[in-house]
Amino acid sequence: MSGHVLVDQLAKTYVTRQRRGLFKSETKEVPALRGVSLEIKTGELFGLLGPNGAGKTTLIKCLTTLLLPTSGRAVINGFELTKDDNAIRATTGCMLMGERGLYWKLTARENLVFFGALYHLSPRDRRKRAEDLIEQLDLGEIADRALESYSSGQRMKVAFAKALINDAPLLILDEPTNTLDVPSARELRAVVRQLNDQGKTVIYTTHIMSEAETLCDRVAIVDHGQVLAIGTVPELKASLKREAVLRIEGVISSRASQAVAALGGVTRTAVQAVNGHTELTVMSANATILLPRLIETLTEHQAVIQKIAPEEVTLEDVFIARTGRTLAEDTRAVPQS
Amino acid sequence: MPRPPRAGRPTFGQTLSAALAETQLRLINITRYPGQMIMEVVIPIVFAAMPMFLGRAAGGDQAAVNFEANTGTANYVAYMLIGSSVFTIVSGAFWHVAYWIRFEQETGTLEAVYLSPTSTFTLASGVALYSVIRGLVTALIAYGLGCLIFQVNPLTGDLWLALLFILSGLVPLYGMALIFGAVVLRVKESSAIVNLMQWVVSFLMGMYFPVATLPPFLRAIAFLFPPTWMTNGVRSALLGVGYFFDAWYLDLSVLWVFMLFAPLFGFWVFNRVERSVQRNEGIGQF
Ligand SMILES: Nc1ncnc2c1ncn2[C@@H]1O[C@H](COP(=O)(O)OP(=O)(O)OP(=O)(O)O)[C@@H](O)[C@H]1O
Ligand SMILES: [Mg+2]
Repeated sequence: MSGHVLVDQLAKTYVTRQRRGLFKSETKEVPALRGVSLEIKTGELFGLLGPNGAGKTTLIKCLTTLLLPTSGRAVINGFELTKDDNAIRATTGCMLMGERGLYWKLTARENLVFFGALYHLSPRDRRKRAEDLIEQLDLGEIADRALESYSSGQRMKVAFAKALINDAPLLILDEPTNTLDVPSARELRAVVRQLNDQGKTVIYTTHIMSEAETLCDRVAIVDHGQVLAIGTVPELKASLKREAVLRIEGVISSRASQAVAALGGVTRTAVQAVNGHTELTVMSANATILLPRLIETLTEHQAVIQKIAPEEVTLEDVFIARTGRTLAEDTRAVPQS
Repeated sequence: MPRPPRAGRPTFGQTLSAALAETQLRLINITRYPGQMIMEVVIPIVFAAMPMFLGRAAGGDQAAVNFEANTGTANYVAYMLIGSSVFTIVSGAFWHVAYWIRFEQETGTLEAVYLSPTSTFTLASGVALYSVIRGLVTALIAYGLGCLIFQVNPLTGDLWLALLFILSGLVPLYGMALIFGAVVLRVKESSAIVNLMQWVVSFLMGMYFPVATLPPFLRAIAFLFPPTWMTNGVRSALLGVGYFFDAWYLDLSVLWVFMLFAPLFGFWVFNRVERSVQRNEGIGQF
């Protein structure tokens, strides 16, 4: 009953068949995890932060026994992965695919009671637990309607309730706020916090930097199936302390941003489109010296600067510093023949 | 406070309870599609009516006499109704298992139930029980109603023995259905395979005719197929068409031999496919 997770050099390579015309096909290997190692301590709220295609879901699927890893090992709640899978399943609560994974013809209560049975709760405990969760998540008004009549956010809540049905010491949530609006997402995060305060270990994956930053005790930054950095949020930010971050908003052509990247003293740049304008992030060891030359270079390249400001270091900057890309970019692993 | 989950092995009671929850879930689910239940009762009657009318048209006044000479009974109405009712049970087994896998793959619920400590075998048993209930109810109503419509007495022969044949046939039947479910799990397609399978099944089990009329090669295959023994057992018990081995207990023992092997084999195949899916793309992919 621990909530402790140890992952050691876990790797997973998907083998897929690519069609080449009607009868020809060839197999391709997609390395989705390339040796991930990490340890999550009991009671931690642990974030897995990475862009689309980083391998977060693949890692989660391995840890929840849905996928057999290609190599490596993991010990979850004291049970060895692939040897004691049923014990792992019994002691883990998961929310993996959002509102999918529920019976839409059934009511929230019927769904919860059913999953309670699969987790071997007694008939009385199932009903009691379902009732408690309905109350806790404020589902009372809709609990006895078929799920097909719910809004997507309401179904997400039921999926979340399902993950709590077995009252497991370890909770694994894969982008649980994915389709939620801002207030609902905040509400869900508050419940996650609360559960964590009660002692549950939580693994929380997200590609949203602010979510990991505000919620998690420790964060692993994942990219291309590898852990790039791991630590508490302040630790990760401190790793960039010597560098300053300048954020420039405006109309900035790619030629302009390339010219900035080439400036002496610039360690990293990243470009992101935000609400119709461009946001250029520039990292440098010394911003004061760089600033005049930076402005000069941008105006030379006909950039329109709307705002330029030194910024607090965010987790996104940590990601940019390590990869040269922003979290918004899709980084799906390319198949290797 | 609910008890925390017990890691490791569930008790027999917990396993049974999980299987029954699966059965219940499915039964609740069909009550939300009421039209389908009515259709299901009508279809076997229509299936039986077609060859009856064909027989009357082709055989004329001598239809019943000719039929008796070939099959051992003049009651061609009950003969066809038994065929189509048993077929309902058999094809239901394939459909329900295939549909369970395929539909749940698509909705993501298969992945969700895999996350729980309840084994596939337990879940499959729950699905099978649901399917048995649904199949038996449909078949009995269809047979009774069909007999009423075409005015023959449904209560002829040894009803208990007929039921025993059906019940004995169910176990190997679901063993086969599980192999079929494994195919669906692997190829991620169900409708086309089930449709094809239905025709093969109805043909081999002798839905409309005695398997003795099949060419030797096909007859040999038909005898390896438990539903063939089920159908003939029921027809012999009710209409006296004649057992394959000339004694009811011999035919019944054949089904019991199937009963020993088919489920084990079915589950072995299913487990292998499951493991290989887990090794590749994962259970939830569709
Ligand atoms: N069944 C599969 N077959 C082949 N490749 C796959 C399969 N599932 C995932 N991949 C690939 O593995 C890589 C990691 O995918 P994964 O879903 O783990 O990423 P993720 O971090 O969860 O992304 P997202 O934020 O979009 O959910 C991607 O390149 C993806 O294309
Ligand atoms: Mg994902």
